[in-house]
Amino acid sequence: MTITESILCAKTHEYLLENEDKNYTIGLTDYAVEQLGDIVFLELPEVGSSFEKGEVFATVESVKAASEIYMPVSGTILEVNDLVVNSPEILNESPYENGWLVKIEFTGDDLELSDLKEYKDYKEEVQ
Amino acid sequence: MVKETLLHDKHIQLGAKMVDFAGWSMPVQYKSIIEEHKNVRKNVGLFDVSHMGEVFVTGKDSLKFLNKIVPQDISKLYNSKAVYCQLTNLNGGLIDDLIIYKLEDEKYLLIVNASRIDEDINWFIRNSINFDIYIDNQSHNYSLLAVQGPKAINLLKKIGYNIEQEFFTIKETTLKNMQVMVSRTGYTGEDGFEILIKNKDVVKMWNLLLDEGSEFSIMPIGLGARDTLRLEAALHLYGNDLNENTTPIEAGLSWSIPKDKTENYNGKNIIINQIQKGTDKKLIGIKMLSRAIPRHEHEIYYNGEKIGNITSGGFSPTLNENIALGYIKNLEELKIGSSLQVMIREKLHDAIIVKKPFVTKHNHKEN
Repeated sequence: MTITESILCAKTHEYLLENEDKNYTIGLTDYAVEQLGDIVFLELPEVGSSFEKGEVFATVESVKAASEIYMPVSGTILEVNDLVVNSPEILNESPYENGWLVKIEFTGDDLELSDLKEYKDYKEEVQ
Repeated sequence: MVKETLLHDKHIQLGAKMVDFAGWSMPVQYKSIIEEHKNVRKNVGLFDVSHMGEVFVTGKDSLKFLNKIVPQDISKLYNSKAVYCQLTNLNGGLIDDLIIYKLEDEKYLLIVNASRIDEDINWFIRNSINFDIYIDNQSHNYSLLAVQGPKAINLLKKIGYNIEQEFFTIKETTLKNMQVMVSRTGYTGEDGFEILIKNKDVVKMWNLLLDEGSEFSIMPIGLGARDTLRLEAALHLYGNDLNENTTPIEAGLSWSIPKDKTENYNGKNIIINQIQKGTDKKLIGIKMLSRAIPRHEHEIYYNGEKIGNITSGGFSPTLNENIALGYIKNLEELKIGSSLQVMIREKLHDAIIVKKPFVTKHNHKEN
């Protein structure tokens, strides 16, 4: 199974990948990074901070503009990807493998997953 | 209704992302702003800037009229010579910035910003009473291409343009049977040319430049890179860095204003007074010490006090740093090297005042 077959996507273009029970990776979809263009700056939250579903937890800046990144589900930050903070262009090159943003512990209930879409449905909707 | 240039289909074919800019659908980028930017600094880039306005001023009072509406001394222009000008209001504020070309006696070409054509024309008409002139807005009949970068001259020569031409002059000629006016000007800080051409020929000229330019690694360049290029060169963008409440002196354009012009012009008293006594605010160059990106309208702080706003800011692909232009209170202690802060997303980020332009032809060739 490829990564895009395992992820769930939010309307606001974040993806959620389940690593193990209650542990997810969050990143931006390939569509989002393509729309943003050259990414030159990322601001990620501190490990241990908690966010509700829909809250802004990070900011991404491309040459063109700054955009906010929203939590696709509620969770506590377990790990941030220092590699993309230091080399934001990795997000453009590899949004799913090297360009993930944070790993979280899911703290919401499963209902929060209901408005997230499978990649192919998400892709159809945005294009 | 959003207007399209005659190259709209070409842009789409080339994979451009289109955006609305000043009422026009324009390419913001084809592939990557950073790649396009670097290609202009290293090789050559082709820009569709057909949204810009072209206004001809003719008639026996054209010189007197132009000398009334800009602080520059138009009588100094010889045939084919161009000058960067500001259209000042009665308070010395800027209605637009523009280039005035003297084509011949009693015939001038004004190239103005797309977003300001209507305001400019209204202002010309209001100021034309008692002058024997004819104002002819030809924006809808002309397209404008910019060929910019160190290899621009090689490309122009290759397509048969063999005229020795000084910076800021314009020459009328034919290239491959197309009538053109070629001006050695630009908005990138590089050597380059702008080609004014009738609408009917612009697609042919665009294709010719792209085809013949391939040996010089030409790329089509969108408005995104146009903005980062002009910011590195500290060239002002009307609407961001200049508006009706900023004077040329506040904007750091004193160099462009003759101190000995005898004719009266709109806003002259205020402008001369500011040259002599200084201004309350001034436009400065800022370099960020953090990776956060300063953008239009972010606040500038000094010693905990808000002293101004960013007017243009962004990532500099040449310097790999974040740079900005902004107006600050004209405090004596603030000079090149002084520390400031910029408020970005509710946090203060350290910055310093630096010299403008941020990038010159000398400091980027070493990279």
